[in-house]
Amino acid sequence: MPDSSSSVMPLPDNGNKYDLNFARWVYKNVNGGDKLSMCMQCGMCSGSCPIGTEMDHGPRKLFMMIRAGMKDAVLSSNTMYNCTSCYRCVVRCPRGVPVTYILQDLGRVAVQAGYAEAKKTDNARFAKAFNWSTRAFGRTDERLFTLKYYLSFGIVTAIKKAMANMPIALGLLKTKRMHFGAPHRIKGTKDLRAILDKARAIEKSKQGF
Amino acid sequence: MSNSGPDSQTILVVGGGIAGITAAVEVAETGYDVILLERGPSLGGRVAMFNRYFPKMCHPTCGLEINFQRIKKNSQIKVMTMTSVSAVSGGPGNFAVTLETTPRHVNAKCTACGDCAKATEMEVPNPFNYGLNNTKAAYLPHEHAYPMRYVIAPEAASGDEGAKIKAACKYDAVDLEETSTTSEINVGAIIWATGWKPYDASKLTSYIYDQSPDIINNVEMERLAAHNGPTGGKILRPSNGEPAKKVALIQCAGSRDTNHLAYCSRICCLGSLKHAAYLREQYADAEVDIYYIDIRAHDKLEAFYQKVKDDDRVHFVKSKPGHIDIGADGRPVLCGEHTISREIYAEPYDLVVLATGMEPSSVDNLPALKLTTDEYGFIVPEMGDADGMFSAGVAGGPLDVSMSVQSATAAALKAIQAVRG
Repeated sequence: MPDSSSSVMPLPDNGNKYDLNFARWVYKNVNGGDKLSMCMQCGMCSGSCPIGTEMDHGPRKLFMMIRAGMKDAVLSSNTMYNCTSCYRCVVRCPRGVPVTYILQDLGRVAVQAGYAEAKKTDNARFAKAFNWSTRAFGRTDERLFTLKYYLSFGIVTAIKKAMANMPIALGLLKTKRMHFGAPHRIKGTKDLRAILDKARAIEKSKQGF
Repeated sequence: MSNSGPDSQTILVVGGGIAGITAAVEVAETGYDVILLERGPSLGGRVAMFNRYFPKMCHPTCGLEINFQRIKKNSQIKVMTMTSVSAVSGGPGNFAVTLETTPRHVNAKCTACGDCAKATEMEVPNPFNYGLNNTKAAYLPHEHAYPMRYVIAPEAASGDEGAKIKAACKYDAVDLEETSTTSEINVGAIIWATGWKPYDASKLTSYIYDQSPDIINNVEMERLAAHNGPTGGKILRPSNGEPAKKVALIQCAGSRDTNHLAYCSRICCLGSLKHAAYLREQYADAEVDIYYIDIRAHDKLEAFYQKVKDDDRVHFVKSKPGHIDIGADGRPVLCGEHTISREIYAEPYDLVVLATGMEPSSVDNLPALKLTTDEYGFIVPEMGDADGMFSAGVAGGPLDVSMSVQSATAAALKAIQAVRG
């Protein structure tokens, strides 16, 4: 069993728009958060981001919001889920802030803390479908997990999205990147599930959610 | 290696830039003998290559001229150009210093008449203009050189080219046989004023300095604006020679960046404000955007910042640009995030100037010189003043010209105290 003394303190909540304990919590508990105080707000990360225009805030502003203790605004942001982990910001950051790590971990915090906006994002839906396929088959079945992802938007949208992707599907079939028939699966799916369950239990006890 | 005679009271100054010149003049005018070494062919260093000084916008040639006069009139200063230090032994009061002199191929008989330059067609990249243009292979380092003596580039110092140059000299000043020589001197104290070099902008890969002639660094901008520069003082786009009317100045290009120079180079903010002033002086319709993290105009320099800020054609954009692209028309396009409005911009410019920081000059073989450096490569004496060695000017850390002069005066005083015992 994981040592309870090493478990993470719960997310602070003072019910206000600004809560400086949230900033302290992030410095301490989010992967790379200890480097957040190095940020000098130069804009190199958001300016370098290939999909920066898709983000509501972008990393620079999000980091300032963390410092200001804007917990709800931070954890409702779409910035974390739009990150493609290209690491351009990490390479270019003049202060050595591991931007990508921080965003990835913040995304996890938001989902686990049950922020509705987080659950609705494209990336969260996608990750969930991906996770389902891995758990079921030990593999990603392109057809089934894409279908599951599309269905999370409702049947009408799912059909629309599927039709729009037909040419890609045909291309994948042609080049044998996709197949007909039963999904490929690994031998020990049962063992894999046990591993995943154990990991989840450890994570849960550590994060205090 | 050290001599067995009485301690020397001569002070050696290494580096002939503004700090070295100041230290040498101060030492000599106090009545001590001084040897001033310069690795290049003439004194003045980076300062001679500036167009103007901030904040008063006066010409560096003015101050240099006064200093050259002081050197000329003082018999206690011995100037050695083309010379660097290769080894140091001994200790305070009794250093044995090995000097290496590279050939200039022109002796003291030179009258700077220029016939040698007329005799040759061969050209070499002009070091005075950071290679922005070429100069004849027999050249005067610049119009204000001290000593006022020509140099013959090594490539032209032999064969037919050499013979042509030698034949053109009426004063028998060309010496093609000159070779590198080593000599040894004894001195009581050493002032290291080895200065700085601009940080290599090509290392800032996302700013593609190597991929467009219209992306230059701040010291090149000084040359473009200088009347004795490659464009005769007109700020023109290097790609096509047209006036540069929409210009971006990028601050902290390499400085305050843990991937490059972790420290603030101190001069670049004021340098860029000065560049904005050059542009606005030349073109009534010029638009200048200064991209900055924060403007560091300390104490009295704040007034100059305010003055430039009052110009409504100079815009301050609080942003460190992410990268530079090349637009369809070949102009550089700056991409980044405006941190006040959070707007993502892609803005084309005629000319982009990277305010690269100051890196310590490369000094070879530090242990042989008994030198140590701080974590950034700036020279620090191993044991402080007890070493009998002192750093002056930017050799010891980033400084502007006035602070360099102050630090050189301080070093001169310390060196005098060291040799007096």
